[in-house]
Amino acid sequence: MLKIEKLSVRYPDQTIGIDNVSLCAKEGESVALIGANGAGKTSLIMALVGVIPSNGNVFADNVKLNKDNLNEIRNKIGVVFQNPDDQLFMPTIYDNIAFGLRNMGMNELEINARIETCLSLLNIKHLRNKTALKISGGEKRMAALATVLVMEPSIMLFDEPTAFLDPKARRILLSVLNGLQHTKIIATHDLMFAAETCKRSVLLKDGSVFADGPSKELLYDVQLMDKCGVEAIGACGREIY
Amino acid sequence: MHMADALLSPSVAVAMYATSISAVGYAIHKIKEDELTEKRLPIMAVTGALVFAAQMINFTIPGTGSSGHIVGGILLAALIGGYPALLTIASVLIIQCLFFADGGLLALGCNIFNMGVLPCLVAYPLVFKPLRQKGKHLALATISATVLGLQLGAFSVVLETFASGITELPFSTFALLMQPIHLAIGIVEGVVTVAILRFVYQMRPEILASAGQRVAISSGISIKKIIVALTLITVLVSGGLSLYASKNPDGLEWAIARTTGTSELEAQGEIFSVSSALQESLAIFPDYELINANGKSIFQNISIPGIVGSIFACTLVGAAGILLAKIKKGKRTATNE
Amino acid sequence: MTDIRSKIEQIYSLEQLSAQNSCVHGLHPLAKICSTILYIVCILSFDRYAFFEILPYAFYPLLLIFLAKVPIGMIFKRVIIALPFCLFAGVSNVFLDTAPVMQFGEFSFTFGMLSLFTIVLRTLLCVSAVLILVAVTPFDELTEELRRMHLPNIFITLLEMTYRYIGVLAEEAATMFIGYRLRSRTGSGLEMKDMGSFIGQLLLRSFDRADRVYQAMKCRGYALRNFSHAQNNLDKHDWCFILLTGGIFLLLRWGASQYVAGRFF
Repeated sequence: MLKIEKLSVRYPDQTIGIDNVSLCAKEGESVALIGANGAGKTSLIMALVGVIPSNGNVFADNVKLNKDNLNEIRNKIGVVFQNPDDQLFMPTIYDNIAFGLRNMGMNELEINARIETCLSLLNIKHLRNKTALKISGGEKRMAALATVLVMEPSIMLFDEPTAFLDPKARRILLSVLNGLQHTKIIATHDLMFAAETCKRSVLLKDGSVFADGPSKELLYDVQLMDKCGVEAIGACGREIY
Repeated sequence: MHMADALLSPSVAVAMYATSISAVGYAIHKIKEDELTEKRLPIMAVTGALVFAAQMINFTIPGTGSSGHIVGGILLAALIGGYPALLTIASVLIIQCLFFADGGLLALGCNIFNMGVLPCLVAYPLVFKPLRQKGKHLALATISATVLGLQLGAFSVVLETFASGITELPFSTFALLMQPIHLAIGIVEGVVTVAILRFVYQMRPEILASAGQRVAISSGISIKKIIVALTLITVLVSGGLSLYASKNPDGLEWAIARTTGTSELEAQGEIFSVSSALQESLAIFPDYELINANGKSIFQNISIPGIVGSIFACTLVGAAGILLAKIKKGKRTATNE
Repeated sequence: MTDIRSKIEQIYSLEQLSAQNSCVHGLHPLAKICSTILYIVCILSFDRYAFFEILPYAFYPLLLIFLAKVPIGMIFKRVIIALPFCLFAGVSNVFLDTAPVMQFGEFSFTFGMLSLFTIVLRTLLCVSAVLILVAVTPFDELTEELRRMHLPNIFITLLEMTYRYIGVLAEEAATMFIGYRLRSRTGSGLEMKDMGSFIGQLLLRSFDRADRVYQAMKCRGYALRNFSHAQNNLDKHDWCFILLTGGIFLLLRWGASQYVAGRFF
């Protein structure tokens, strides 16, 4: 379970990252985080794992985030970054996935076993010894997901997971995410993806929560979405050539 | 400036490995004390990778029709500090050695010393940092440090090769070939490094502040004046070198002239005439007749290689000065737009 | 920029070779490293005229190329690139060292030429040895071995990450360069006046990327500390390899010096 109470982020140059955000995601719940560029989605995600300083309270499975228990919190909350290259910083995919586990102090046998399970789950066993440069965007996304999944967090945060993905890879990611039982927060511009993965959506505008409700109502509400600087699903009456 | 294994003897290789390993070990020890190191590691890796990529970009040097690429020691040191820069350069050199055969495996100790230790642990703290801390012009600090780093590195190559004894090339000839060339390279790289640092300063001044630099760039002294000053220093230095060289005329011409005195050469008349014909055709100054039959230079105080080297360097410096003026003009028009 | 891309291909083609299977690939990395270093040290310990004494050492890279099925053309191409500087240093020997070794009619084969050939041979063999080492040992195994030898973790992690990001940065540089060329005056090289902003821009992007990578690392528990690795001991095949190759290298060295001594005494 993830509980956020009056969380605020202010950057050194005084710009507001997020402003007094409160929300609660139950165990196993998937929540979409929707907002225009600069609305505060990435800031919120980074604040939840203590990467950027913030005011307010964050509770991950009833453990309160503070300076001294960052590692414990980061074992509970996994973050999948927007650009998979930023998460794949070791030479081989195996090393990348093992990185977090080694930092947790696990021994190599256990690490190997966990990685095998994870690779099978995501159907990417063939990527084990490959280098990140030589794989496709979709494969990179899966590898980046594996690096986080293998640490067995209870909460997963996704920052624009469909960025860099072609339609086929997107579909694969969709089915994988729907198969995960974790509590999920998915920040995305891809409204169809949000509608297909999350029953609940939270709209952010200028760093604060603008609306919070069922996806099938919010994401199709043209006026509401317009106020947030986002286009509702099916809103653009373009002519198709 | 990458040295290959073939020109090294094991004893020199081992000695340089020991030196480099000590230096790298010391650098690791120093940065471990710094709590920012954890955050610096990705920066070191990514900028190291960038320097590697940048070394593959050849830029055209106007007026010479040739191209060059940066080495990056002083650039890195100015951005991330001397000790992290040394580690970064060392890791780049290791990858170049393993995957590109750019520098031998046993020569790695020499290469890390020549291209890492000398710019980052000598030129940077002794020249760049003090000049910047006194608020001196960025261009002066950068170009001086780059030139010094490359001069020391080139000289080190000469010493290591000479100490190994694989090549017959006489010490001073090798030095007189390496130093002026690397002087020119150093000036060009220094100019390019200044341009890069200026850009970074303008966009993100906090990057250099965190490396312990003074942030303000004074545009008081013109770069042209600095270049003129450096030119004078160049002429004096190479003139000084040429004085030394002529006292011990070890030049290639002198060596060949010396061997004409021995009887063995009569058996290889063909080779000798081919090589001396080659020499004459390549000679820039038709002053070879100044060397008399005894192999002594008539004008004891003038050494041709020394002067040629200086003129070459001065031409390049002049070209760099003109270029810099153009850059300044370009920047001024850019900011006016 | 095909130039940059082809250079990056060089790294990753070697990397792909190292992922294959053969008896050589299966050897312990430490065995291969020791063997390579001993090989180079032996070759370098000869004097400048020892062409014929060094020649037998060619068996080692040729044997490994055969056993590991490494494309000989790939190795040869890269070795050629390493030759110019050695040739430059060696060519002066030809002019300065003119004592004859043997006569072929009017043509004299001099000591200078011999030393030049020796330098070329040394270059060929030493460079081949290193390239083959990398072609049969995956990079992560090499770094793992360095960790087991208790080299500082921070440096090895730096090495791994630099290696990883070279491809990414080179791609970025290449793409940016194409954009530059499409709008530049000459359409070919990078002009020196633009070098500052071009590299500067790449640098700033690198710093931003490094920030994100740091965040990703912290999210997975990264801290500057050493962690222990699984012990991986040398087995009897590895010891056989080390003793056999080491033995041959030393025998050739000792045998050569005996032969040389025998020639003069």
